[in-house]
Amino acid sequence: MKRFLVVESRDLTEYTSGTTLMSLVEGLGKSGDEVVLFLLENGVIAARKGADAGQGLSRLSDRGTRIFAEDVSCRARGIAALADGVRESSLDFLADAIAGGFDNIVWY
Amino acid sequence: MHNDEISESQESSQKHVRKVAFILATGSYQREAPTTVLRLAEKLLERGIEVNVWAFEEAVTLTNRDQIEHNEPPSLREVLGDRHAPIGRFIDQLLRVGLHGTKMDWVTCILCAQERGVERHQIGGAIIGTLGDLWKFVKGADQVIAIPVYR
Repeated sequence: MKRFLVVESRDLTEYTSGTTLMSLVEGLGKSGDEVVLFLLENGVIAARKGADAGQGLSRLSDRGTRIFAEDVSCRARGIAALADGVRESSLDFLADAIAGGFDNIVWY
Repeated sequence: MHNDEISESQESSQKHVRKVAFILATGSYQREAPTTVLRLAEKLLERGIEVNVWAFEEAVTLTNRDQIEHNEPPSLREVLGDRHAPIGRFIDQLLRVGLHGTKMDWVTCILCAQERGVERHQIGGAIIGTLGDLWKFVKGADQVIAIPVYR
């Protein structure tokens, strides 16, 4: 099993490639690989509780993708509640995760 | 922090990351990416992980020593303070950390710097380099993180 870190820094709904990225994450999960999706900067916008895009994140989480939203990015955008399956996290967590090693890091 | 998730990740990892290379093309006052990279670089340095940054395209302006603190508009000073420091100050501080701790190297692409007229205006710790340096950064890194630019 390979390990992938996908860092999403753009608003998923701003560009159509956001959909492609979600397909990539889903595909990696389906192939049995471990996927960590880390949302930061405008990437956290999709995780706002009640947002349409958040439902897609919840589905990904249900299928085994671990999804985190960076705390500073959330606070900067007034996001206090996250979609189901998305957990608040921090750059400390991201740094520890990177230190642990991934087969590939995709920063979008 | 989610220590359980961290340990879960690390247990399944086969890697021991000692060196991370960032490839950065975003310049001053464009997007959040440079600030995020520096915040993350600081966290990695704290963990004893060496950081190398290859700055090209507009990112060569991040280390322009001629950028100065500028005054905030009067109406915003109560919120933001009197002055707005350029990001080069943050880069300089992280480079200085390497004097007595884990080091960060910052290489500025020579061609990109020449095109933008900042080759002779780099802060002291930034090194003017070539694609050969990028190759060596990538080859020597345990983990490479390429930060995309918005098009």
